[in-house]
Amino acid sequence: MRDVAIVSFAQAPAQSRVETTETQMLYPVVNEAIARSGLERRDIGFTCSGSADYLQGAPFAFVGNLEATGAWPPISESHVEMDGAWALYEAWVRLQHGDVDAALVFSSGISSKANLREVLCLQSDPYYLMPLWADPWSLAALQARAFLDANGHDERSLAEVVARSRRLASGNPNAQVSGEVSVDDLLAEPHVVSPLRASDAPPVSDGAAAIVLVAGEAAREACEHPAWIRGIDHRADPHYPGVRDLSTSASARQAAEAAGVAGGPVEVAELHASFSHEELILRDALGLDDDVEVNPSGGPLCGNPMMVSGLVRLGEAFRQINEHGKQRTVGHAASGPCLQQNLVCVLEGDA
Amino acid sequence: MADRATETEDGRLKFMQQMISLDYAIRVPVVSREFGRRLKDGEISGHECPQCGLVYVPPRGFCPICVVETTWEQDAVTVSDTGTLTSWTVLTPIQYHGQQERDDYALASILLDGADGTIGQQRLLDIPLDEIRMGVRVEAVWADPSERSGESGDPRGYGFGDAIRGFRPSGEPDADRETYEKHTL
Repeated sequence: MRDVAIVSFAQAPAQSRVETTETQMLYPVVNEAIARSGLERRDIGFTCSGSADYLQGAPFAFVGNLEATGAWPPISESHVEMDGAWALYEAWVRLQHGDVDAALVFSSGISSKANLREVLCLQSDPYYLMPLWADPWSLAALQARAFLDANGHDERSLAEVVARSRRLASGNPNAQVSGEVSVDDLLAEPHVVSPLRASDAPPVSDGAAAIVLVAGEAAREACEHPAWIRGIDHRADPHYPGVRDLSTSASARQAAEAAGVAGGPVEVAELHASFSHEELILRDALGLDDDVEVNPSGGPLCGNPMMVSGLVRLGEAFRQINEHGKQRTVGHAASGPCLQQNLVCVLEGDA
Repeated sequence: MADRATETEDGRLKFMQQMISLDYAIRVPVVSREFGRRLKDGEISGHECPQCGLVYVPPRGFCPICVVETTWEQDAVTVSDTGTLTSWTVLTPIQYHGQQERDDYALASILLDGADGTIGQQRLLDIPLDEIRMGVRVEAVWADPSERSGESGDPRGYGFGDAIRGFRPSGEPDADRETYEKHTL
């Protein structure tokens, strides 16, 4: 395997109802990621993006997003209709071919143009789930109930995740929701779909992010503290939630094992836990000890641009090494209802 | 939801129509608002890249080739409402749910005089479908000022919204091929 490192990361602040196009939102973010990498545009041999046309309700919207990259002369590029973390995976595979040495990964999502609960229904299977309008909230609540029942937790455990996330998000200028809130105050809120309250779910966010990957020794020239991808893997559970044990996440567990999470101590994990209980399921599935710092950015509960949030987790895990002197971090991304699909990336510093 | 199901002769379900609608709230991008305001005044405007000089209509707020920002304050230009037809498609409308069109019609790409890129999907007016060809000189058919909303129309900034109804032949001789051959789409 060829060593590949993340050398730069940029993101737009998570916010709702932006008054730009996705392309306009991406343009400064892509520019910033490339500028921070120290590379020239022509040094980038492959570009891969992640987004979903359903979010903005415009077919082939992803093609226009390429304008943010300065795609002239023509560039070699690809797109996944998935979170940008999977675009990063494709770029990492592409760099393994050995003929190009640097890749740009970017993703964008404007989630606030429509009713996100309705839009996301359409990713469910069209025969059994979609006609029920089984929206993400309802499916997440089923998983939360299954998890609480199976593990002896109660709703206080969920509120503790929310309170901690919002407190940590106070230090994150890109967060959409932050601040001190007591567990008791959170528990005093009404349920939206039992056992979940509004605070257990993420805000509806628009956002964009970009990452530059460099292979081999050149990564150290591009960046003072690169974060090396020591393991990366993604797995999917069955599409239909009814055939799964929702109290756990088998695909997250397998991805973590294949990525080698247990191969050393983890200092920080950025988890794509869109609902509070998902963090607890993922901690267990990834085998994270209690002393692992989880979502110091505040995580998706404090800013969750669809198609971007997973890539941001990898970017934040990179920042822990690049800016905060950590040695070994984990970035995680999820897709689909009830943590159906999971990507785990182990990053390490040089020291 | 399965209120329009069809069954086979022995009563098994054959087709099930499932109507789905999603409502999107379009917020016109800041850059596009000024474009729409000028359209309302009968002006087609764009941004000229300060680096390469290409003129983008409608403006995007940056040059996608040089990847530099463009602004209304620094880079605004006005272009003509006449141009050249570079490409077209004749559409035969299928009568799906919500279809407003009944008869064949043509959409064309127009290279406006003064712009460096074509505007796609412009309705062609006052020309028989079998007389459409590359190089036809056209002019904008403006909507009555009272009918122009002043918004960009297209949230992605591609079109003229409700300010221009379409383009019709201007009566000039066809343009020389060299003037549009790099703009076939």
